[in-house]
Amino acid sequence: MADLTYLSELKEIRVNENSPLFDKTGMHYKEFPSDYRQIRYFTLLIVQSAPLEIKEINLLEQQISEVIKNAVKHGNQCTVGKKVRVWYSFDSAHAHLIVQDEGEGFRDLEKWNDFNRKRLEILSAQDFERLADFVSWRTQKSDDNDGGNALFAALEYWDGGFVFNDARNAVAMLKSFPQKKHAIG
Amino acid sequence: MELKIRKNGNNYIIDVNGEMDLYNSYKLKELVMKMLEKKVERFIINLENVDYIDSSGIGALIYICSTIKKMSFRLIITNIHGSVKKVIELTKLMGYFPITNSIEEAILQMEE
Repeated sequence: MADLTYLSELKEIRVNENSPLFDKTGMHYKEFPSDYRQIRYFTLLIVQSAPLEIKEINLLEQQISEVIKNAVKHGNQCTVGKKVRVWYSFDSAHAHLIVQDEGEGFRDLEKWNDFNRKRLEILSAQDFERLADFVSWRTQKSDDNDGGNALFAALEYWDGGFVFNDARNAVAMLKSFPQKKHAIG
Repeated sequence: MELKIRKNGNNYIIDVNGEMDLYNSYKLKELVMKMLEKKVERFIINLENVDYIDSSGIGALIYICSTIKKMSFRLIITNIHGSVKKVIELTKLMGYFPITNSIEEAILQMEE
C-alpha cells in the first residue's frame, strides 16, 4: 500500500518558484486594478469559464475570490494603480490558478505555517477551549473585515498544492475533482 | 444581505438573508453587538437563506461566537447548508461553533 504520510506534510504553504504549478503554458490570462469594491466581479469574470460540474454551487468562486482579495488588499494595499495578474485554466477534472500582485510578498509565511501547525494540533486534540486562540490569524495589519481564516480553507481546498514564488507575491494553486465513473454494461 | 430579528420566548432569532461576504458581513457583527448592549442573552443565528459565505463572513461568526462565549451568554447557529457548510468544514470550525440542524432543535437546546 502506498505511503500516504506525506499527505499530512502537504498541509502547509510552500515556497517553490520551480513548482510545476507555475507553468503558465496554455493558461488564460486576465489582469485587474486593485479595486476592493470589484473583487467579486473580477472573480466572476474568471470563474465563468469553469465547467458547471466543478463550480460546486459557488465554492470555487468563493475560494478564488479569497485569493484575489489577498492580492488586492494585502498584496497591493488596494492601490488601484497596482495590478493583480491572474492565469487560470479549468476543465472537468482540475482548477489551476496563478495570482500575482505587486506587493512586498507574504513575509509572514513561516509564522503563518507555525500558527496553522499549532491550530491543527489543537484540532486533532479536540481542545476547543484553546482553539479559540487559533481560529483567526491576526497581524498588526489586520482590520475588522479580515476574517483571518481564508488560508486555512485554501490549504484544504487546493489539494494539488498552494505554492508561493520566491518573491512571495505570486501564488499558484491546483484543485483536482473526482471524475464520475460511468456504469459499464 | 438582509437581517431580521424575531423573538421566541427568551430567544432572539436572527434570520440572515443573502450573501455573507467581504462587503456586508460586518452588519451581522454590528447587529449582535447592539443586541448585547440591549441585554439580549440568547441568540439563534439562522443561516437557512444564506448560500454564500467567505472568510469575512466566517470571521464575523467567529467574532460573534467568541464575544458571546466570553460573556457566558448563549448562541446557536442553525440551518447551515450547501457551500456555507463546506467552507466551515474546510476551516475546521464545525466543532467550534454551536450548531443545530433546525430552529426547533436550537430552541430545545437553549432550554437545556
